[in-house]
Amino acid sequence: MKMKDLPEEDWFVNGHTACPGCGGATVVKIAMKVFGPDTITYFPANCLLVFGGTYPLNSFKVPYLHVLFENSAICAAGISRALKRLGKTDTSVVAFAGDGGTADIGIQALSGAAERNEDIIYVCYDNEAYMNTGIQRSGATPFGAWTTTTPVGSVEAGKGEYKKDIPRIMMAHDAPYVATATLGFIPDLLKKLEKAKNKKGCFRYLQIYAPCPPGWRMDASLGAKISKMVVDTGLWTLYEFEDGKMTINKKPKMTPVEEYTKLQGRFRHLTKENLAALQKYAEDKWRKDQALAEAYS
Amino acid sequence: MYEVRFHGRGGQGAVMAAQALADAAFVEGNYAVAFPWFGAERRGAPVLAFTRVDENKINIKTRVYNPDYIVVLDEKLMDFVNVAEGLSPDGMAILNSPLDPEEVDLGMSVKTATVDATTVALEVLGAPITNSAILGAFASATGLVSIDSVKQGILDIFGPRIGDKLAEKNARAAAAAHDRIKIGKCKAERTYPEAKKWLPTYQEMPLSLATKPTKTDSGLVGPGSSVENKTGSWRTFTPKYDEEACTNCLMCWFYCPDAAIKRLEPPKKVGFDMDYCKGCGICEEVCPADAIEMVR
Repeated sequence: MKMKDLPEEDWFVNGHTACPGCGGATVVKIAMKVFGPDTITYFPANCLLVFGGTYPLNSFKVPYLHVLFENSAICAAGISRALKRLGKTDTSVVAFAGDGGTADIGIQALSGAAERNEDIIYVCYDNEAYMNTGIQRSGATPFGAWTTTTPVGSVEAGKGEYKKDIPRIMMAHDAPYVATATLGFIPDLLKKLEKAKNKKGCFRYLQIYAPCPPGWRMDASLGAKISKMVVDTGLWTLYEFEDGKMTINKKPKMTPVEEYTKLQGRFRHLTKENLAALQKYAEDKWRKDQALAEAYS
Repeated sequence: MYEVRFHGRGGQGAVMAAQALADAAFVEGNYAVAFPWFGAERRGAPVLAFTRVDENKINIKTRVYNPDYIVVLDEKLMDFVNVAEGLSPDGMAILNSPLDPEEVDLGMSVKTATVDATTVALEVLGAPITNSAILGAFASATGLVSIDSVKQGILDIFGPRIGDKLAEKNARAAAAAHDRIKIGKCKAERTYPEAKKWLPTYQEMPLSLATKPTKTDSGLVGPGSSVENKTGSWRTFTPKYDEEACTNCLMCWFYCPDAAIKRLEPPKKVGFDMDYCKGCGICEEVCPADAIEMVR
């Protein structure tokens, strides 16, 4: 599917109360354009639930369900099994969770659903912290990033640990489809969304990078640019893992991470040593992903 | 006792202003409380903050419904929020506006002080953050707290959050705004639509709720009903579109988080739905042909 072939109609409509420049809202808008009207969505607690469904208003034109924070994959799997019982195998069941709801709170449900190979699409829109509750660190927060729970002071300066690699965890489950995407590479993103939609009857996991201007302390207009830069620096590898075979979709240019970090206030305090550590992480990540692609070729 | 209601936008610092005023009143030996009120909306949405000051202990815990003073940090709010709602007729409005008080229309005629806090903030802080400047205006317009206490309040509240250096700058902004107020009486020409007071209960929801959007007494409900929520009012910057230069690449249409850009029938290219545009500027940033420019 090309960008021009996307339908004009939205199934995630305007009037939602996301912050100006919200990356998550764009991700969901585009994903819903691809998934279309024959979709049932599930949300754990996340920004999307709040800005898309402020009672009594609702931004979704498709059914959507919320139960608890930790059971996105279970609830989506339940919907999917009920639909199967009713003979409706064409309907996509999509769980949209944030990175906190995926990497930390929702991981047991996610792992179980992947292991049982439930017929659902799980989309993690990764804004790299718990933004809904006011920017707390999550497992997916990158090294050095400021959050309210990894403050910058004399003892520590931002998060001291590295980002949890959730797609790799999903690959370890041998899930039939695992892919990473960003808004910066449109044909790649659309291809992956479409593949996830059309690959019926199995577990599909997508991790999509979603810039958060207030949480990352950056200008609201930079979402698209930063989504491209994160791939160029090597901090985010674009790949897909399909039926046991891993393909890297984009070779990073390995531009210095400093170009990426200097646009974001959450990295403002980074020292030369911190930047060197982050740079090394990017290089290691690219090396490991290459080796993985080799192993799963 | 006097009660103050602050009107601002998420991220503008109305809450910190309310707290700094409470601190200033406390420095002068009063009891004071300050607290915010906001919904699930995000940065840019209208928010409220309250300050209550008394010589005695304060036992009221509710929101301020009938303020003695209102403080408006963003003049555009007055276009769609009835900021003077419930304001005591003997009360006073302190507004961030370059206009004279007589030119401002609040829908009720009350004593009004205006100050161009945005200009003051740009001069002193280098950024249009008006929460400290407006406090200086409050002190000089009402005489309830001294400017020195307000400066102290700003240092106490802002310091731990943004650092002492920036807090001192903010205190200077308050002092600069102190001498630049204009006092008069505002106009009462416009009327605001009556605000919805209650949300419908789930028993009041129509049975068709799950299948199609339905009109109820409290507005639209059901799938896709958020179109009722005109988020365009959050906007500070507006896209200016040059159709000549546009190559119809649809990048803006793709990236707009608010789906405020629509494809039009050829030969027209794209159109902007200003009811929903929040003014984030992504369209300007991604446009390869420089056909979009964000203007104030």
